[in-house]
Amino acid sequence: MKKFLFVLLTLSLILMFTACGKKAVKVAPAQEPVEKVEEPVTQVEKPMLSEEEIFQQKTIEDLNKDQIMKKINFDFDKYEVREDMKPILQANADWMLKFPTVNVLVEGHCDERGTIEYNIALGEKRAEAAKNYLASLGVKAANIKIVSYGKSKPLVNGVDEATYFENRRAEFVITKK
Amino acid sequence: MKNKKMILAALVFSIGAWLGGQEEITIRIREGMPMIPVALPDFQVTGMAQPNDEINRMIHETLWKDLEFSRVFKLVPREHYAYISRFNPNAINFKDWASIQANILISGQLEMAADERIIFSFKIYEVNSTRFIFGRNYGGKKDLARMIAHKAADEMMKHFGEKPLFTSKIVYVSEMGNDRDIYIMDYDGLRPTRITFSNALDMLPSWSANNEKILYTSYRNLTPELFMFDMYSGKTELLSSGGSNYAADWSPVADQIVFTSSKNGNAEIYRKDMKTGKEKQLTFNPAIDTSPCWSPSGREIAFTSQRNGTPQIYVMDSEGSNIRRITMEGSYHDSAAWSPDGMRLAFVSRIENRFDIYIFNLKSNEISKLTENAGRNENPSWSPDGRHLVFSSNRSGRYQIYLVDYDGRNVRRITSGGENKMPKWQRVPR
Repeated sequence: MKKFLFVLLTLSLILMFTACGKKAVKVAPAQEPVEKVEEPVTQVEKPMLSEEEIFQQKTIEDLNKDQIMKKINFDFDKYEVREDMKPILQANADWMLKFPTVNVLVEGHCDERGTIEYNIALGEKRAEAAKNYLASLGVKAANIKIVSYGKSKPLVNGVDEATYFENRRAEFVITKK
Repeated sequence: MKNKKMILAALVFSIGAWLGGQEEITIRIREGMPMIPVALPDFQVTGMAQPNDEINRMIHETLWKDLEFSRVFKLVPREHYAYISRFNPNAINFKDWASIQANILISGQLEMAADERIIFSFKIYEVNSTRFIFGRNYGGKKDLARMIAHKAADEMMKHFGEKPLFTSKIVYVSEMGNDRDIYIMDYDGLRPTRITFSNALDMLPSWSANNEKILYTSYRNLTPELFMFDMYSGKTELLSSGGSNYAADWSPVADQIVFTSSKNGNAEIYRKDMKTGKEKQLTFNPAIDTSPCWSPSGREIAFTSQRNGTPQIYVMDSEGSNIRRITMEGSYHDSAAWSPDGMRLAFVSRIENRFDIYIFNLKSNEISKLTENAGRNENPSWSPDGRHLVFSSNRSGRYQIYLVDYDGRNVRRITSGGENKMPKWQRVPR
């Protein structure tokens, strides 16, 4: 009963106070303290897949999509392997040597600044140069096939040197693992 | 009087040419000859069936455009017909036609039969002598109206000692969406017909000497290989095996083809006998050799080789010997096409970032530029009469097919929609 009266008193006091407040100057409500929400971080570590496990688990399509074998680019009108592309071919060769069952198709491509017929020959020379370089690093030549698309399949569209550079390339498509 | 002077000049030059053993001058004079003025009044339409104005106009317009295209004839402007009395095929007033400078008058008659068939008859008159020269009658289904007009135009060419070309066709590659297939069309770009239906890239088509077969390159078995399509049986045959095989050209005089193949590891030119299947390698060079093209006599082959560092045009005899370089300047040439008279080679040159088509005169060693600084102009191919060329160009955005006269005049686009390229004109119409 006492408690009830106390509550009533308090309520009426508050009512009075707010009623007065309407007339009086507005008082800013006191800022509530910010409550910190925390959750302990569970220390789970994703197991890193080894190269072997990636190779075993992924399909040929996925391996190609992930660009396990990196493409290389060429100079304008040229089919010799550029110095700065050799480390890429080395990595590709290392990977192929690790998985000797892999067969690849090397696709030679050209930029649009060549004629259709000549570009087929030029793209083939590029694919051939890439193949020969891989073979020189110990990859079985029989596991590498080549094809040239000339300028039929540009990677990017555009009319600047950066675009042309992107399109002058040899791509390595895994066909068998 | 002017005409007489021209003929006299031609005669003098002909004799000079004959004395000098150079036929080429005669040809050039012939090309410069004044065009023959032709009048083509409206046709008389007869028959039991409802007169079909559409067919009538289609034949008239097609014939008109063909003759205008020829560079042999020129049409007396239609407005001039208004100054003379209305054309009456039964009582021709030749004086009237002479007064508006017509030398040749074509009197046409179109008969519409009840069964959707049409008969088109025409008579050719020489206006000054009031003489009937020749006439023809063509009958056929009405959807062949354009062909009938083209046939009539070809008859005109033949009668005036010129090679027919209006019934000839052009084979080309059309890309709609992701498909890239082989099509054929009339010389004027109309009536396209699809020939191949593969999901792979089909490209670089060309005609057999008798126009019955189309050679082309396809990636349907992963690598570029040569296929042969028979227009009449509809059958397709694989011609090559191993390496890349492309850019085939059929001899104009024998059942032999030349093509590029890398079957022995490098792009070389091969000749294949289509009867025995025997092949002969013609080039032996570690550089790129490609784009072979027969001369009209079948005795020589023009091709592209990179043996001196950059792609240049060379000519060899058909056994692969006697190789000589044709282009001496510039750093990039390809796609040589031999003119029907054997005197000229058209080819593509790259200068900076553009491709233009040039014509090299094999007798005078003169080079003339056919296309002018407008995008990439590629894959030239001559008309059967050698007065026109077809080529593809991206001057308007995507690649489309264009016609141009031998002297660079009258450039006109004949395809639209999608992308159309790699045209090859029939050597001789059927």
